[in-house]
Amino acid sequence: MLSLAHIKKSFGKTEVLKDVSLSIKKGEVVVILGPSGSGKTTLLRCVDFLEKADSGTMTISGTTVDLHRAKRSEILDVRKKVAFVFQCYGLFRNKTALGNVALGLTVSRKMPKEEALKKSKEMLDWVMLSDKYDSYPSQLSGGQQQRVGIARAAVLNPDIILFDEPTSALDPELIGETLQVIKRVAKTGITMVVVTHEMQFAKEIASQVIFMEDGYIVEEGTADEVFSSPKESRTKQFLSRVLPPEYNL
Amino acid sequence: MNDFLSVSRMITAFPKLLASLSVTFEIVAIAILVGLFLGIFIAIIRMFRIPVLNQVMTVYISFMRGTPLIIQLYLVYYGLPMLVYNLFGVDINGWNKLFFIITAYALNEAAFLGEIIRGAILAVPELQTEAGYSTGMTYFQTFIHVVFPQAIRIAIPSFSTDLIGLFQGTSLAFLLGAVDVIGKARIVGNNSGHVLDTYVDAAIIFIVISVLLEFIFHKIQKRGDVVYGKLQN
Ligand SMILES: Nc1ncnc2c1ncn2[C@@H]1O[C@H](COP(=O)(O)OP(=O)(O)O)[C@@H](O)[C@H]1O
Ligand SMILES: [Mg+2]
Repeated sequence: MLSLAHIKKSFGKTEVLKDVSLSIKKGEVVVILGPSGSGKTTLLRCVDFLEKADSGTMTISGTTVDLHRAKRSEILDVRKKVAFVFQCYGLFRNKTALGNVALGLTVSRKMPKEEALKKSKEMLDWVMLSDKYDSYPSQLSGGQQQRVGIARAAVLNPDIILFDEPTSALDPELIGETLQVIKRVAKTGITMVVVTHEMQFAKEIASQVIFMEDGYIVEEGTADEVFSSPKESRTKQFLSRVLPPEYNL
Repeated sequence: MNDFLSVSRMITAFPKLLASLSVTFEIVAIAILVGLFLGIFIAIIRMFRIPVLNQVMTVYISFMRGTPLIIQLYLVYYGLPMLVYNLFGVDINGWNKLFFIITAYALNEAAFLGEIIRGAILAVPELQTEAGYSTGMTYFQTFIHVVFPQAIRIAIPSFSTDLIGLFQGTSLAFLLGAVDVIGKARIVGNNSGHVLDTYVDAAIIFIVISVLLEFIFHKIQKRGDVVYGKLQN
């Protein structure tokens, strides 16, 4: 469904992704863990061409593209298959919740307005925001904004949704509702990649876990494998810092 | 001294000055519209750093910002006919003075508005554009639906200042013979021998309209804040 081969990316002299390859099957929920600065955000951004990788290829739903040399049309094509949920929501500030969800449908998918609005309302109902159709982002709490962000991504019916630390900008009391909605998205069977520091949540939704450090994938495996018996010492160290003590690594 | 300023003379002259307000408005309105139109092109040229044109526009803007308006007025008034004559062999010397005056103000506005537009577009956070891309929109679609509407809101305060500045700046047009509010004040004052009355009249007109404009833009701004909420990230 999605595979990445030998992705490299530097910012100036800093090598951020050193040689990343991974493969994700349809319907999988892949959680990426790793310390801050290890390149997780950059990896997701390269997949959606928000950042141009220095080299590497990607195969998505049967189409292969060069991440450095992709043509404009290829980039647009990939972006139609990929949806992104941003750490800081990134809602369109000039659009209501409904407008945020519908814009991609009407403009990029060319869906008739009526139909787009109907679908968008259903999606907002689904993320429990039935009473917020007409609210602007500035009138919504962080948790509500992020749920609009999730609705905006999911409504496009993408092949894969990328979540970049979807709850780390939220106040603690708003994290729960947002995680709940993400779990709901996961249950629909859509393929997802989630960068998160919420370990309990990660354990619950992950079918695969990837541990990144310093621009490399250090370890990957099922949630059980990685959480209960990590093979690499660096993974162990990281998990022992973030997991509750009963894990006893 | 008693006769220095007379309320009754001021009242008599006032309607005559008001009648000339239409000329002032004509200069302002056309200069702003043409200036906006050209300003958008200048902003695009500068934002995308279109070769050659970008350098030309940088010099153009420095010139417009760095020289007194009165010089720009004279340059257009005397220079444009010469330029047109030399290039096309057409004599436009006899054209309406207002044409040259408005052209000068419009060219000046283009530079200032171009910079205001460019600044406002650049002030829209990159995340807004990225969010547009992530929903599958092209750069152009994102610009039209997301970036530009936000830029307009960001530009309102500067645009308001610029418009009021232009309105007051039209007070130089009488030097080229325009019979706008100031021109009229001069004529009526000179005829009666009491210039001060008519200039005070003109001052009142300028103050009232400036305050009114400021008030209107403040309302627009406030209304935007109520509808959209303040633009934060
Ligand atoms: N646009 C950028 N310009 C320069 N350096 C960047 C940029 N984006 C990220 N970096 C650097 O790349 C490294 C990895 O960042 P990031 O991918 O955000 O890591 P993570 O999401 O794992 O915390 C960090 O050292 C960061 O400072
Ligand atoms: Mg990150």
